[in-house]
Amino acid sequence: MVDGIIALIIFIFTLYLIFSEKLHRTIAGLFGAAAMLIFGKIFGFFNESDAINTIDYSTLGLLLGMMILVALLEPTGVFEFIAIKAAQVSKGKPGKLLVLLGLITTLFSMFLDNVTTVILIAPVTILICELLGFNPTPFLIAEALLSDTGGIATLIGDPPNVLIAAAAGLTFNDFLTHSLPIVVVAWITALLLLKLLFRKELSVIPTNIEGLMELNPREVLKDGKTAVKVLIVLGLAILFFFLEELLHISPAFIALTAATIALIWIRPDPRETLSRIEWSVLVFFAALFIMVGGLEKTGMLQDLAHGVAGLAQLHPLLFGILLLWLIALLSAFLDNIPITVAFIPVIQSLAAAGVNVNAYWWALAFGAGLGGNGTIIGSTANIVVASLSERTRNPITVKLWNKRGLPVMLATLINTTILFIIAYPFLSR
Amino acid sequence: MDLIHCMKKNVIHISPEATVREAANTFIQHHIGTLPVVDPDGRLVGILSIRDLVSQVLPDFVNMMQDIDFVLDFGAAETRQPESDVLMTPVKKIMSPPYSGRGDCSLLRASALIKKHNLLDLPVVDDEDRLIGIASLVDIGTRFLQSWK
Repeated sequence: MVDGIIALIIFIFTLYLIFSEKLHRTIAGLFGAAAMLIFGKIFGFFNESDAINTIDYSTLGLLLGMMILVALLEPTGVFEFIAIKAAQVSKGKPGKLLVLLGLITTLFSMFLDNVTTVILIAPVTILICELLGFNPTPFLIAEALLSDTGGIATLIGDPPNVLIAAAAGLTFNDFLTHSLPIVVVAWITALLLLKLLFRKELSVIPTNIEGLMELNPREVLKDGKTAVKVLIVLGLAILFFFLEELLHISPAFIALTAATIALIWIRPDPRETLSRIEWSVLVFFAALFIMVGGLEKTGMLQDLAHGVAGLAQLHPLLFGILLLWLIALLSAFLDNIPITVAFIPVIQSLAAAGVNVNAYWWALAFGAGLGGNGTIIGSTANIVVASLSERTRNPITVKLWNKRGLPVMLATLINTTILFIIAYPFLSR
Repeated sequence: MDLIHCMKKNVIHISPEATVREAANTFIQHHIGTLPVVDPDGRLVGILSIRDLVSQVLPDFVNMMQDIDFVLDFGAAETRQPESDVLMTPVKKIMSPPYSGRGDCSLLRASALIKKHNLLDLPVVDDEDRLIGIASLVDIGTRFLQSWK
């Protein structure tokens, strides 16, 4: 009992450090892991081999593999190339431009990291808008929102999904059949609502499209050969993700093999490639695994879950909806990775208590993903877009986000809830 | 050879409270690239370069994109005019720090300062930081190169 309380205190305190940003989240995570291990040894509930066993290497492997592919793709200029081509296809019509840039950002975000996608697409979006005489704000906000939304559709689309898949034993195809259809509806809703909310800005007629049409996209494509190679390897990896169950291979194995093949094929300077990998994210995940592992070992979460299990069994659908909204509201203000890490053991404990939690994994995925759109700080992609815009003539303000971003988050959450209710039998199978 | 030997005296300067519009007119009138900003006691408090003014109308993508050589036509950005609140801004809000050299500064050091701070001209000050002259990169460079003969 005592160890459970100690572990819970360490867990809550670490989450507090992360959410209040008093410490960088990686350092806070390491503190939590170390504290859990120290007290675990003193009170005899957690030791080093326990800690090593709680780290989910397949999650880390999947993230690392995908990060390597992104690191190889980043300097090629392919993101910027595609964005300019798309803009030229739109011929500068604002509505069409919004849809095309939103679509590109989303497609990249479904398979690659949201934040990198937005970091690379935002500057070229600003360029395109300035050449056309548009305010870039609607386009930047749309890119952040649609990238976050799209990332929920696939297993590899965003870090919470990677964590949920590992915990729940979900496959790439599970996400395509369960998440993608709902996300498509949310995405369309978001896009239509954005077009409505920004109708004034999007009704501007471009005065001069020559500047845009005269751009030669090939000039931003600094390394087309490498881009093609990485995209081929990425395509093959996605194909193998489909075949994961058939071939009995894990996504981590696929991702790391793909990354290795890409490295051998391209032969970049490994230090340069490796320097672009977000090691702090990987260390953070490992630390969180240890910390949560310690908490689980005390049985504290099982005890907590038993208390709620009764409610879950009485009204399973209602519980699912409440979970969806609670997680979404938390995600709007807090980082969705620690939220996911906090809720996974809760759901697992509910499962151990005999509750059917299959649909709740999806509630967690949708809530953690969509909630982030609610505020300017809700997701890292939002923060990136906002801080880039601060260096321009049209900075995105908190007020603006509340008027434009928050309605989109609520609308997508509402129609996801409706679909969740309709699809509940399917999601809980 | 010291800075004091190649500087120009009677430097055209401007007050920190002067507006961007006034500064622009001064640049045009005297066909210069650097305007030292001087307080009522004659002390150098900042440097205003013609770059600082022109950058008020440069499109944001110039800072955001790594490479802009491929953008041949700036399209709608070409017709941008500075907003009236920009024109009324006091120069002290956009000026650079008062990089300067003393009269006895060596030409090599002066050249290094110009390169390091990306200046066109280096103001020259006395021991109390009062502006006594200005030396351009060309003034300093040509004197410096003379020693190479």
